Amino acid sequence: MGRNDIRLRRNTLSSGRMAQHRNYGEIMARHEKEARLKRIFRTFIYFLIIAFMILLFLLVSQIQEKAESSKPKSTPAQVDSSR
Amino acid sequence: MSDEELQKEYMILQRSRKDPKAFGELYEKYFDRIFNFIYRQTDDEDLTADLCSQTFLIALNNLSKYEHRGFPFSAWLYKIASNEVNKHYRKKKRDKVFSIEEMRVRELMEMVNEGWDEELVQRLVKYLKELPTEMLEVLELRFFEDKDFKEIAFILDITESGAKMRTYRALDRLRKNFNLRIKYDGKE
Repeated sequence: MGRNDIRLRRNTLSSGRMAQHRNYGEIMARHEKEARLKRIFRTFIYFLIIAFMILLFLLVSQIQEKAESSKPKSTPAQVDSSR
Repeated sequence: MSDEELQKEYMILQRSRKDPKAFGELYEKYFDRIFNFIYRQTDDEDLTADLCSQTFLIALNNLSKYEHRGFPFSAWLYKIASNEVNKHYRKKKRDKVFSIEEMRVRELMEMVNEGWDEELVQRLVKYLKELPTEMLEVLELRFFEDKDFKEIAFILDITESGAKMRTYRALDRLRKNFNLRIKYDGKE
């Protein structure tokens, strides 16, 4: 709910006058520009996701490598040759 | 609007999704109506031109999200326009303007057999000033844009019964204040 300013208008806008404000060409140009920006943004987001996945993969494989190298090497079982 | 016309409009929309240039046909068809609708709520030609462009741009950018619900495409445009106007007033923190055509008021008054005089007009303006914005929005769509309650509900994002309720209440007050026998469709 709010206060409103009520005005009584004697003249209606003529079609000719409104036609002066028609600018579909400009709207198309703005639409194409915004669509292009949206495409670039989407591509950038995909790139970020892929880069993050690669980074995650490298990190995991590095951790796995470290874990394997820090494991004690198993020695072959000794055979008692005196028997 | 007949089913055939709705279907034709839907075909244009489908085409526009692939080729935005096809949207030009709908732009030409609805420009004047949307311009007038916004102008009535701003009383500023340049501001109206900006908001009108913004309305069509938003529609064009979001065509893929548009769902056909049995209304003419214009209902969606009215909804976007209404949101844009409200956004403008919220941003500017100003009172909302309703600039109504004297000619249309005269027509409505003649429908209920009331004489047209300056005093009556001033009383009507005073009465309208006291109405909440929500009621004025419904009255505008009902009596200045000739929309039915279903479409009004869709445009203003309210229920159909909510739209009816707002109109009934506003007209009830009008009847009491002006001693009119006005009906919900503006006729006696």
